[in-house]
Amino acid sequence: MTDGMLRAPAEVKYADELDYLESVDDGPKPFSWRLSPKMVRTFVLGSERGDGLDREIPQKWFGDRTFVERSIVTLASDRGLLLIGDPGTGKSWLAELLAAAVSRNSTLVVQGTAGTTEDHIKYSWNVSMVIAKGQSRESMIPSPIMTAMERGVIGRFEELTRSTSDVQDALISILSEKYVSIPELDDDNTVFAKPGFSIIATANSRDRGVNDLSSALKRRFNFVRIPVVTNKRSEAEIVRFRTTELLRRHRIELEVPPTLLDILLQSFADLRTAAAAATSDDEKLESALSTAEQIGVLEDAILHSRFFGDDTLRATTLASSLVGSLARRSPEDLAILNKFWHGVVEGRSKKEGGEWKGFLEGGREAIATLS
Amino acid sequence: MPKAETAPDGGGAFAALRGQLQDAAERFADAPGAAAEILAGMVDDVDRALAEELEIFPVCHHSPSSALAMARRLREKRPKVVYLELCEDMRPLLDELRNCRLPVALQAFASDIDGFDKEWAPLSVVAPITEASAEYQAIAYALETPDVELVAVDWSTDHLFQWEEDDPASRKNRKAKKADEPKASGSGSGAGAGSGGEAEEPDEDGDDEALHGDAVGVELGELRPGFAELEEHLLHHGRVRHWSEWWDQYVEQPLSGAGYDAYRQVMLLVGSLFRRLRDTGDLARSEERERYMWTRMRQHMAASGTEPGDALYVCGALHAASRVEQFGARSDAPYEIAEPTKTRWLYGLIPSSHSAIEAQFGLAQGSVSIAAATWQKALKLSGVAPFRLAGQKGTTRKSPKAAPISAGPTEDRLSGFLTTPPEAGELDEEELLAWSVDIVRLARRNGYLASTADAIAIVETSVLLAGMRGRNRPTPYDFQDAAVTCIEKDAVPGRRDVRRLCEILLGGDRVGQVGYHALPPLAQNVLDRLEPLGLDLTKRTVQRALLDLRSEPHLRACSDVLWMLRRLLPDGTVRPIMGSRALGERSVQESWDLALGRDQRWLVELGYEGVTIEQVLEQRLRRAAWASGATASTALAAVEDALVLLGSRRFVDELGARAVELLAAERTVDDAPEVLRRVRRLLAHYRASEPELPAWCKEFVTEGYAHYCTLLPTAFTDEETGVRQVAAMLGFLFGMESLALSLGCDHAQLEIAVAQAHPELPGKVALLWAARLQLGTLSRAELRARCDEMLGNPLVVPAFPRYLSGFVQALEPVPTLAPFVVEVMSKAFGTLPDHVLLPWLPRLVMTLREQAAELVPVLTREAGRTFPGSLPALDAWTPPWTAAAPEPGPGPSGRSSVPAGPVAELLAAHPAACDAVAALFGLEPTWQAAAPAPASGAASGLVERHPEAAGALAALLGA
Repeated sequence: MTDGMLRAPAEVKYADELDYLESVDDGPKPFSWRLSPKMVRTFVLGSERGDGLDREIPQKWFGDRTFVERSIVTLASDRGLLLIGDPGTGKSWLAELLAAAVSRNSTLVVQGTAGTTEDHIKYSWNVSMVIAKGQSRESMIPSPIMTAMERGVIGRFEELTRSTSDVQDALISILSEKYVSIPELDDDNTVFAKPGFSIIATANSRDRGVNDLSSALKRRFNFVRIPVVTNKRSEAEIVRFRTTELLRRHRIELEVPPTLLDILLQSFADLRTAAAAATSDDEKLESALSTAEQIGVLEDAILHSRFFGDDTLRATTLASSLVGSLARRSPEDLAILNKFWHGVVEGRSKKEGGEWKGFLEGGREAIATLS
Repeated sequence: MPKAETAPDGGGAFAALRGQLQDAAERFADAPGAAAEILAGMVDDVDRALAEELEIFPVCHHSPSSALAMARRLREKRPKVVYLELCEDMRPLLDELRNCRLPVALQAFASDIDGFDKEWAPLSVVAPITEASAEYQAIAYALETPDVELVAVDWSTDHLFQWEEDDPASRKNRKAKKADEPKASGSGSGAGAGSGGEAEEPDEDGDDEALHGDAVGVELGELRPGFAELEEHLLHHGRVRHWSEWWDQYVEQPLSGAGYDAYRQVMLLVGSLFRRLRDTGDLARSEERERYMWTRMRQHMAASGTEPGDALYVCGALHAASRVEQFGARSDAPYEIAEPTKTRWLYGLIPSSHSAIEAQFGLAQGSVSIAAATWQKALKLSGVAPFRLAGQKGTTRKSPKAAPISAGPTEDRLSGFLTTPPEAGELDEEELLAWSVDIVRLARRNGYLASTADAIAIVETSVLLAGMRGRNRPTPYDFQDAAVTCIEKDAVPGRRDVRRLCEILLGGDRVGQVGYHALPPLAQNVLDRLEPLGLDLTKRTVQRALLDLRSEPHLRACSDVLWMLRRLLPDGTVRPIMGSRALGERSVQESWDLALGRDQRWLVELGYEGVTIEQVLEQRLRRAAWASGATASTALAAVEDALVLLGSRRFVDELGARAVELLAAERTVDDAPEVLRRVRRLLAHYRASEPELPAWCKEFVTEGYAHYCTLLPTAFTDEETGVRQVAAMLGFLFGMESLALSLGCDHAQLEIAVAQAHPELPGKVALLWAARLQLGTLSRAELRARCDEMLGNPLVVPAFPRYLSGFVQALEPVPTLAPFVVEVMSKAFGTLPDHVLLPWLPRLVMTLREQAAELVPVLTREAGRTFPGSLPALDAWTPPWTAAAPEPGPGPSGRSSVPAGPVAELLAAHPAACDAVAALFGLEPTWQAAAPAPASGAASGLVERHPEAAGALAALLGA
């Protein structure tokens, strides 16, 4: 079923698992949920031996268990869920998994941008049909959120804070009254939300200032803050998990040597420490150094070795990918990377040797090329 | 008394359980041997501990169920002797507990170390005691019941450190900790020790969390997995976040309603499990302590004739399941107890707090508070009357009520416990509703936009969360998560976030207090002496003291004490709001912010240093002056403190002599500005207040004169030495010269020193010129010519500002240079090109502000004198130097007349003396005609009109 799709949504990709979980689930299910809250948690965080399941459910989202539990519980309650955090912390992925597990549909998404209008949240009209038949339910184009209301499933709103305040405020009535009225129609002019409807929104904590949420809207959301992963072990797991997935998507058979993965994680950890110690923005890389960015670096390196190399991931390639992805501003970022390479990577290469040597060389070359 | 008639070979009450565990081991593990050994061994351990004649009571710290079981058991058994796992040397402190409000910590403190690594000093060990603990129950029972003896049997603090010293791992730990822990705690005391096993580093330093400082923590009933993996595993599978939460859910809650047998068996089992999964280093330490404890108990029983059956041994569950040979009241395995070192240990009580305990022992935030709340609730539910020390401040005392008694042979209560999932009590809806409403109210008060809708959502979310986590009743942890989910938004509006508010709601952080009678003599003395202020200094709030010393002179003594405390205690504890005290400065009114009640710990620790604050202050000053890194300026600072605060002549002289010694030994002049500043102040003080300078002062001046003369040439050329330092040296030399010369120094020494100086840096060259001007080897006209020449030379112009900086610094040694500096500066501003002047201006301002702040007023005053004050005057104004320059000036020799006056008249009337002096210098005496005396001045007019005073004076002088 995933054939022909560049990226299948979670409910398609994990259809087997969801079917299985649904078949063994005997827990109480709120509203029209397809799985009980416990099973939703199992789906997201993976199963354990103690759960008594016949097949193993792999972990799909890595992070504190409490966040997932709090999110699930929020969806079962009266309020919307707002996942907030730095870019690249896995908010959207968690939202997708939750929507897939709860309602088997994670595609009812509104993307918040500066150009998002109220129509994107409520409904709009098919102009030619309106001209032909007049305004009626048929000539109305419901938004993904309205569709979710009608079906009693989870709707998603990505980057809530990127959309303007008036658009955000359109959500208030949806979240409290749970219906949308269509004043253009004379009858059948209210769409009521079916039980099971809820909204998962994500917001970037770095953009908070752009269009801050009104307190009325804040009240209607439960906030779950997803922190940047700093635990090296779980970060390694995330990177490995996502890269495997990406490789599968590209149909690439390529082994990521654990030593290289370590080097990548270590470099990011070092860069983060350096960024934390920096006093001005000029001494900090523009990048947020999130886990997603590590995955990006690794993906870039893998693709490079696959198509331009000899199908083996090498430290030099990884280094040049890292430099290439992180050097966004010239000369500031390059200067920081140069300093990092000479101060930290060189030290590590002398002390630990191994792949670090190649990493040092590759990085140097890449920096030299870019400067 | 329950006794198990079993041998550890597998029979008895636990046979079924043993078999089951072995089965389980074989089923789960690939290597059945190891797992089976552990599992069966656990049952053996439980068996053996239960079979021991001396009743072992396993406890876990901050466990309400332990406390509850303890209270029940004590009422039932009424033992005559209670053996307690507590540092034996801390036993006398326990009697003082009744004067305190818990939680407090027993502290052993040593700064005078003999037998340990000196680097460790000062050593500090704390053992916190909370009310919701089994050990407090045991202590209260033993101290309140007549004829019951309480014996602390654990290592003394000295033995604790002896082990640390012998244990290479601990040593390494301690070294590492020392290295990355540069923070000195407040007063400089209490810094020091970390330990391998029992103490954990505080994660963060809050106000109350820092109450224990960096003392080593010991506590009764340590029970926690010895290695991180096991703990992680338990947390993961228990679906809980913290160890405290796991313990609460899987052991604490199920046990709170269980009988004594079940309690004892479960605790022994858990203790045994953790013990068996411990790493060997840790285990060795535990075993060493167990040998010690058992030996001590046997010694006590032998000496007092106590029957093992009449005693109760209270120890951590980990130690209960011990396998050392010395285990058992009837064991006769020898064990030699090491002699304590010669270190002098001091003991006291310091206030503790829940958060301090959590931070020190690595517990989850809020867990001790939650334990305290659970304890109160459990008391209410179970109807058990807890033991309390008479007079203990805190919660109200309840009348004791007989508790149900259980007795009988050992039954297997373990199997039931192990096979049933944790069953918590029924959902306490009332409590949850109350919590939810309260947290919303609290959140609103802290700036959150929380409403009743949130309270409803919290209740709903807590129940859902608990359901999802497999509990039928929301625990405080679930409630906390729910509150955070529903109330916490993107930002925290106030000082506290919702998590913290929940902790406050669930009992909050309780901070203990040490009562007056339990305080060390020094602290009592301080409180006594501050009594006249009429404040309750035991309160935890900051109190304002107002002292009007003129109308209430008896408060002067209080003021003295407060100033001393301010010098001794860390900032913020005693803070003057108004009033100051320095050399020659005493306020008539003072107001103080006092937080002695809040910061009791500092006062208590001060008590370890001496009996009165005067003594402590003297010791500290002495230590500062005789420290290895002490310099003359630190010694002078100590002198100043001693003068201002102590006023002891003998001690001041001693410190002064030390300052002289230090000055003579100094090879650098980095401190010169500080030395100059201080010695000037001290000299001014002595001149104003004493008929004669003290001997050390004279010595300091002569020594300083010679010392700085010697160092002057090198300081001028040395690149490391700054202009300011050299200026300060010159300041010392010129400023003290008259005094030094009167004390026998030689002016020639200074002249030679200046002549030897050949500086290269512009700033120092300017200083040298100023010095020569002062010495008279360079005239003002010459100096002016040099400056003008520099300003005219385009090659030198860029360096000119640096010369100017030198001149500004030279105001310190040569204050008469001020008009000249104003002149040069005006010229510089007038003639220097912008590209030189503009970049230099900010630097000038910075330099003036940082290094010569005290010279700026001199400069501005002089400028005010030189420049006209109004705009119209500016048009007609010519700078004095340009006005003076064209006229050649009569010069010193060309003076045509001398001012007339009584002096001139006197000299003219009796020329013999002057002639003799002139002859001595080999000069021809020539006398000039004095200008006619002013016929009438205001003064002479006044004297003429009222001649009586002058006549009387003349009569008095016998003229």
